[in-house]
Amino acid sequence: MSKPIYELVDELPTGGLTVRALRTLDVVIPGQWDNVVGFDNTIRAVTHETDEALIQQIGERAVTLFNDKSQGYQRALWLYETVDSASGALGTAALANRIGQDTFLGFLKNLTPKPEKAQAIDLSVKLVAELVAFCQINGIPGDSMGDFLAALADYGGESLMRMAALVCFDGLVPLGPDFAAKALERLQQLTPSELEKNQTFKGIRQLIPGGNAAGQLGFISESFANTKGWMENFVASKHLTQGDILNKLTNFIEVSRDRVDYLGAFLDISVKYYRHTGIQTLARRLVERAVAEI
Amino acid sequence: MATMRYHKLLAVLTSLLFLVTACTSNPPSRYESIQQETTQRGAPAAVAKEAEPGASFNKFFPKSSNGYQVVPAQEKAGFAEYKLNRDGKTLAMLSVSDTASLPAAAAKFQNSSLKIAGYPAFEQGSTATALLVSDRYQVKVLSRDPEFTAADRAAWLEKFNLSGLARLPQRPVSKLKEPAPSRPLQPVPAT
Repeated sequence: MSKPIYELVDELPTGGLTVRALRTLDVVIPGQWDNVVGFDNTIRAVTHETDEALIQQIGERAVTLFNDKSQGYQRALWLYETVDSASGALGTAALANRIGQDTFLGFLKNLTPKPEKAQAIDLSVKLVAELVAFCQINGIPGDSMGDFLAALADYGGESLMRMAALVCFDGLVPLGPDFAAKALERLQQLTPSELEKNQTFKGIRQLIPGGNAAGQLGFISESFANTKGWMENFVASKHLTQGDILNKLTNFIEVSRDRVDYLGAFLDISVKYYRHTGIQTLARRLVERAVAEI
Repeated sequence: MATMRYHKLLAVLTSLLFLVTACTSNPPSRYESIQQETTQRGAPAAVAKEAEPGASFNKFFPKSSNGYQVVPAQEKAGFAEYKLNRDGKTLAMLSVSDTASLPAAAAKFQNSSLKIAGYPAFEQGSTATALLVSDRYQVKVLSRDPEFTAADRAAWLEKFNLSGLARLPQRPVSKLKEPAPSRPLQPVPAT
């Protein structure tokens, strides 16, 4: 059984590495994300209602919807939590061992940057996790594929921030400007058994459509190919460069530019942006449904 | 002597521990009782088995026109919701829900004399206006922008295909089983 949804939202941090890393992307999508934490605050922010009795009614319906497992919200939460912890699983032990004993650079020496192939799989598996979580939370809205794509294209707020972080922290920073093409190329060369060895994939494979590893690889490649254009357009339209993102991150993380290859690994283990913004998305959608249903 | 001192120290430490525990434990949440009711063994489902699939409601929503975009947002059992956007800004949410899952949602209309397009209607809080079709399907418009007024909400409610929705064959609800909120839902009048 998951923790109550109101506790998960109440316990979201207002500071720390994850929030600071996300704040570096404020200039990329200005005004889109304010870090709303707290269950009642979320209800107020979404609905603009102030009547406490009404807020209670909305909250109770949201809690009821979340607790009904058949409604998919708990599976979405599991995806957001697992995709973060699986991608950083190896490094977390290293971090726990080193913290407090060493300088930051000393700690970095003990991190091994992921090979490009592993990074490409991580990026694409995280993208697929987003698609699957979207469907668990929202269903497949509308009557056509076009309706569904319109719903995806209308991403805003914390969902858009999650995608911006995916493109920047899991794409641009570790793989460089042609990250999308590079990742797709790597995916096309991948065998199902290589995919099965990837930590991030192992974490969430039970919820990825496709049946077996070969089918799942097909689903991942197809989803990536379909959203590659969106990611490339996002980078081009915001004039994002690897150097810009690195400059922003190095402002608060003590790291020299020549250790860039390690920065991706560091972000992977210490920045839990999927879980953080995922819980925010989940809470918002629950509140939107609850206030409409009561 | 040493034992006595040890006992005293232990007593002080224990009381300190209680103090710390008392200070750090959070006050009980206002949602604790609903949490218990909806997680206990045999808790009723949040959505009635007989609820109409959300997809059945799609065709009754207003269409995009005159610079307004109607964008699909959610489609779940007994529920469909669209965003009403203009110039990239969300002005309102448009929704249809099946009150088979939440009879109190239908009951609130009994206390209202308001009618929109001939259907019983209700102003809820300061941002929502709803109407009820066939005593079962709730159509609601929720402002997300301060410029989108109660008059706008009523106007957009009329843009739904309400007569079409009224003709939707109803799945029989054998026995309405409400997910039992901690207290009966009270309609909150407009503020």
